[in-house]
Amino acid sequence: MSWNDKRPMSPHLQIYKLPITAKLSILHRGTGAVLTIGLILLAIALAGAASGESAWESMHRLLSSWFGYLVLFGFTTSLYYHFCNGVRHLFWDSGMGLDLKSAEKSAIMVLIATVVLTVFTWVIALS
Amino acid sequence: MAEFKLPANSVLKIGKTYPAPEGARNIKIFKVYRYDPSNGENPSIDTFHVDMDNCGPMVLDALLKIKSDTDASVSLRRSCREGICGSCSMNIDGQNTLACTKAIDDIKGDVTVYPLPHQPVVKDLVSDLTNFYAQYASVEPWLKSDTPAPPDQERLQSVDDRKQLDGLYECIMCACCSTSCPSYWWNSDRFLGPAALLNAYRWISDSRDDATGERLDELEDPFKLYRCHTIMNCTNACPKDLNPAKAIASIKKLMVERKG
Repeated sequence: MSWNDKRPMSPHLQIYKLPITAKLSILHRGTGAVLTIGLILLAIALAGAASGESAWESMHRLLSSWFGYLVLFGFTTSLYYHFCNGVRHLFWDSGMGLDLKSAEKSAIMVLIATVVLTVFTWVIALS
Repeated sequence: MAEFKLPANSVLKIGKTYPAPEGARNIKIFKVYRYDPSNGENPSIDTFHVDMDNCGPMVLDALLKIKSDTDASVSLRRSCREGICGSCSMNIDGQNTLACTKAIDDIKGDVTVYPLPHQPVVKDLVSDLTNFYAQYASVEPWLKSDTPAPPDQERLQSVDDRKQLDGLYECIMCACCSTSCPSYWWNSDRFLGPAALLNAYRWISDSRDDATGERLDELEDPFKLYRCHTIMNCTNACPKDLNPAKAIASIKKLMVERKG
């Protein structure tokens, strides 16, 4: 919404103390964007694997570097967060867990589940 | 679209500071948003040192004390001073609420007082809610019945039917919820916002109303209803402890159910 008003717009995001439900909503949008970009990277990785050994080798080298690990770690964290919070949204869509206390509880549960699943995945990947 | 920054004419400046009266020992600092349409300057934050030993317990008490003792030009809406009229809604300590029911003691540190977020400011804490009221009117918040009322009595409801309206009819249209909602900030030209939608659901839920289908048709729109992303700022902000997020989810559910 463009502001064509001579009068000032009152401050909003700059001053609002966002509750945990709002912070997680922003995180859901953010991880969604990360996953979209991640999907493009996944397609590139698959294309690399499909176009011969040397392409696969260089892709493998890139993904095994510390930076590659960082990207993959970010991708898995985003995937698990977005997945868990997506399940939370499914409950909401069916009309469940919409009172404030439940929404705050499920927020914490989503965060814990994200950490547990990410750590579990990386323990397996690195062992 | 989401515009995270304030427009150039809305960027805040540092305003005046008013010290407490001499001898005051129990001082609380109030940082209050000021905008004067007559001088053409940007809004600013004035700092008032208030003697709490000589002030009522609520934020509204402090604002009215500032107005009577320090600066009479501070502008705000207020009426009932007991949380039923919805006039003194504003952003206090970073969250929307009613100044009359917000206890000063519940706020740690300085008390920041801003008008309701992302609205055109008329003066100081008074924001222009024209769009908000128009959206409320657009959900046609009145009984629509196909049958005439009985000539000798009210339209009766069962106890259970009446219970469906609890948590909905209590809305006082203070705009705390709608102006706390980021979706509403970015799309208030098309998204109806939590208050209007809660009131739409109040009439959808009314056993005496015959226009449920028509009301749902009107809301079946990517913006009017579906810009709600269950951020839940509305429910967090509501000074009457209502749950607009749940009311909106209930409308979305009805939309699916009626498709069968």
